[in-house]
Amino acid sequence: MADLKKLSEKTPENELKKHIGLKASRTIGNTLIYILLIIMTVIWLTPFVCIVLQSFRCESTYIVGYVIPQQWGLDNYKALFQTDFPIWYRNTLITALCVSVLQTVIVLCMSYTLSRFRFKLRKPLMKFMLVLGLFPGMLTMIILYRVLKDLGLTQANAVPGLILVYIASSGMGYYISKGFFDTLPKSLDEAARIDGATRAQVLTKIILPLAKPIVIYTILTAFMGPFGDFVFARYISMNTSKGMNVAVGLWSWLTPDQVQYKYTMFCAGGVLVAIPVTILFLCLQKYYVEGVTGGAVKG
Amino acid sequence: MKKSLKLISLLLTLVMVLSLGACGGQKDPTTGSSAAPQGSTAAPQGSTSSGSQLAGTYDIKVWCPENAVSWTKEQIDSFNKSNTDGIVINATVEAVGEGDAATSMITDVEAGGDLFFFAQDQTARLIEAGALAKLGKAAAANVLENNEETSVIAVKSGDELYAYPLTSDNGFFMYYDKSVIPEADLGSMEKLLEDCEKAGKYFSFDVKNGWYVASFFFATGCSSEWEYDDNGKAIACRDNWNSANGLIAAKGLKAFVSSKAYNNSSSGADFAAATPSAIVVTGTWDYNTIKDILGDNLGAAELPSFTVDGKSYHLGSYTGCKLLGVKPQTDAVKQAVLHRLAQFLTNEECETKLFEQLGWGPANLAAREKASSPALTAFDAQKKYGTPQGQISGGWWDIAKAIATNVENATDEKGLQDALDIYKEALAGIIDMPEDEATAMTVIGAIAGTNWDTDFEMTQKPEGTWYTTEPIELKKGDEFKVRMGKSWDVNFGADNKVNGPNVVVEEDGWYFIKVVVNAGLTEGVISLEKNSPSTGWTVIGAIAGANWDKDFDMELQADGTYKSVDAFDLEAGAEFKVRQGQNWDNSWGNGTDNFKVETAGKFYVVFNPTTTEVSLSAE
Repeated sequence: MADLKKLSEKTPENELKKHIGLKASRTIGNTLIYILLIIMTVIWLTPFVCIVLQSFRCESTYIVGYVIPQQWGLDNYKALFQTDFPIWYRNTLITALCVSVLQTVIVLCMSYTLSRFRFKLRKPLMKFMLVLGLFPGMLTMIILYRVLKDLGLTQANAVPGLILVYIASSGMGYYISKGFFDTLPKSLDEAARIDGATRAQVLTKIILPLAKPIVIYTILTAFMGPFGDFVFARYISMNTSKGMNVAVGLWSWLTPDQVQYKYTMFCAGGVLVAIPVTILFLCLQKYYVEGVTGGAVKG
Repeated sequence: MKKSLKLISLLLTLVMVLSLGACGGQKDPTTGSSAAPQGSTAAPQGSTSSGSQLAGTYDIKVWCPENAVSWTKEQIDSFNKSNTDGIVINATVEAVGEGDAATSMITDVEAGGDLFFFAQDQTARLIEAGALAKLGKAAAANVLENNEETSVIAVKSGDELYAYPLTSDNGFFMYYDKSVIPEADLGSMEKLLEDCEKAGKYFSFDVKNGWYVASFFFATGCSSEWEYDDNGKAIACRDNWNSANGLIAAKGLKAFVSSKAYNNSSSGADFAAATPSAIVVTGTWDYNTIKDILGDNLGAAELPSFTVDGKSYHLGSYTGCKLLGVKPQTDAVKQAVLHRLAQFLTNEECETKLFEQLGWGPANLAAREKASSPALTAFDAQKKYGTPQGQISGGWWDIAKAIATNVENATDEKGLQDALDIYKEALAGIIDMPEDEATAMTVIGAIAGTNWDTDFEMTQKPEGTWYTTEPIELKKGDEFKVRMGKSWDVNFGADNKVNGPNVVVEEDGWYFIKVVVNAGLTEGVISLEKNSPSTGWTVIGAIAGANWDKDFDMELQADGTYKSVDAFDLEAGAEFKVRQGQNWDNSWGNGTDNFKVETAGKFYVVFNPTTTEVSLSAE
């Protein structure tokens, strides 16, 4: 009722609508929104476009004041493969893939347990992990370095060390997937159990197929963390080229005496790093959004 | 319950096995060795050590800048071929920039490179962290012989040498675009700024950086020097940037940063930036980039002069080196081998190749003579106005870089003075000079074998009256001044006024120098005294009618001993002692017992503070 009343009032907005008609006003609105979106897109994309363009610049290697290369070519990409870049890339991929698999398994098991099982320490455990999660991870950096060094997992052996660091506390990241599992009706479990399924079978055969978005979301976040990590990776590789990941390796080209010779290669490296992540996101985009919002709906 | 116990023990066993496996998998030889010793390690005997003992294969790790990786590998190969001692070096060369070397080394010395390149400014930090091995006598002599003084200063802490000079080109000068800047204007900063403004181009000079901003202060004769002990710990800073000359420098800096042409950067690529620079203040490392951008228009020259109140001041600069350091090792033989290799890498032949390949200006004198490029010529021209960069405490850089920002924000002369005050205050914070030391008076001069480089301590008693703690032997014509907090901000001279002329000694002798300072620190009356109430000596005892209740004055003699002012009528058996500062903590008679007079007579009491011997002398 109130809405109807509003429309009949003589507000300037309503006046406008009357004069130009519904269709036209929608067109105007859309146009404005699209202009806004285009402006935002340009702002968003400019740095990426610049990096891509710089990576094809062949006439010089230092930072210059223009964006469009005068001489196009793949020199920077070729040069990239003369350096340790392939090793860094391999390290990064190995780390990210291992972590995404292991972390996903751990997180899903954890969430399933906390969502479906009832045991005495369940609540205290969840509270404990919540409190533990409040401490910044960076606090542990120095002691972790020491421990890994004593295990021989730093410098050239940084990759297993890093994997260990990333998956070590991953069980604590169960919140979103547990939230999602909680929304799945418990009667499904019960039915399966009555039919003779074990707990593990319930998880793999019943829950996981239903929880596809959350699984993919977990894999994605687990992959992205190590893929872009810099701080831990830098400490643990400790200037040893063989143990660096891409972020650390590319960063090492940014010293004042290096950047003049490596800037365009740095851009090329950046483009190559972006490729797998972009593909991954494009393919899994719809699950990602479902996953992020899925856990929020509590049953 | 039992089941879970079993499970836990199984898990624990698994963890143990896994961690053992991880240990077994490690191959890097450096990470396995136990902690490297801090600082002192067996020093090598240099190139004269016997070869057979050193024979063997050594796995080492070298940290060098990315562009020097191939040079390093080549030279190590050539070392392997040319050495006659059977040393085979198996080197892993990692790219670590000279600027980061110290930070990385200090984070974890064990994991650091056995040999590493670093820039001079990091020497102090590295020594303090125990990341540099001292050079042995022969190696040190070799460095002293083949390098000029600026390079030697760079590797010295106390009396020890800690690294090998690799290049001597770490300083800045001016690159300019010949098509914009006429050669006639090169000497004057004002004209250069005008040219740049006219052309709509920048004058790039990274003055928000302690290293570059020092240029202005050195121009007006200011200095900033740090003093270190043998272990690399900063013990004092002689810095007079907060002074009348410092203010002139701040004015020059203000004029520069106020110009439209000013660009706070010092990178060769600035010549190709969106708004290109016509002048960039940077060093030899940017030569190739700039040559690439400017081609035949590249010009390199010494820095210009700036004018304040009609007087012109030539911009100074830091000159310094890139160095090659050896990490302390647990294995003395490996240590010796590393020193051999470091000596090889810094010899004439290797440094010449380094110049040919990368344009780095050699530190080695013989190699330097052969090397020539426009950049090195400009560097050498600027070097005349340069200050060798000694060890500078790590905290100074952050303090100095704030100067330019504060100067830029200043609106009047008071603002400029404030900028200098802030600097001075921050500096006092890092050198950790206690309040009483900062307000203590000291004597400095060409006295007692020193040459305006040593402060003699003074003791205050009573408030405002200071005496030198020890008597000083002064010669006729010696000159000295009295100053506060080991800095020249407050100093007194012959006319008892601040910044007065030097005091000139008129007569040879041992003296306590006394200064009476007024509360406002505007006047200090200097006199030469024959005794001091705080650390001077007096006679006390059952003599001359007194009964251990009166101190009789003594005076310094030409030989440094004390003699009582008056002669005493002493009876046989009379007892007395000589005491310091009218205090029983330090008192002497016959040893530490009272002095007993054996035969009656009229005597002076004589005391020798060096031997602590008391004697009687007849008139």
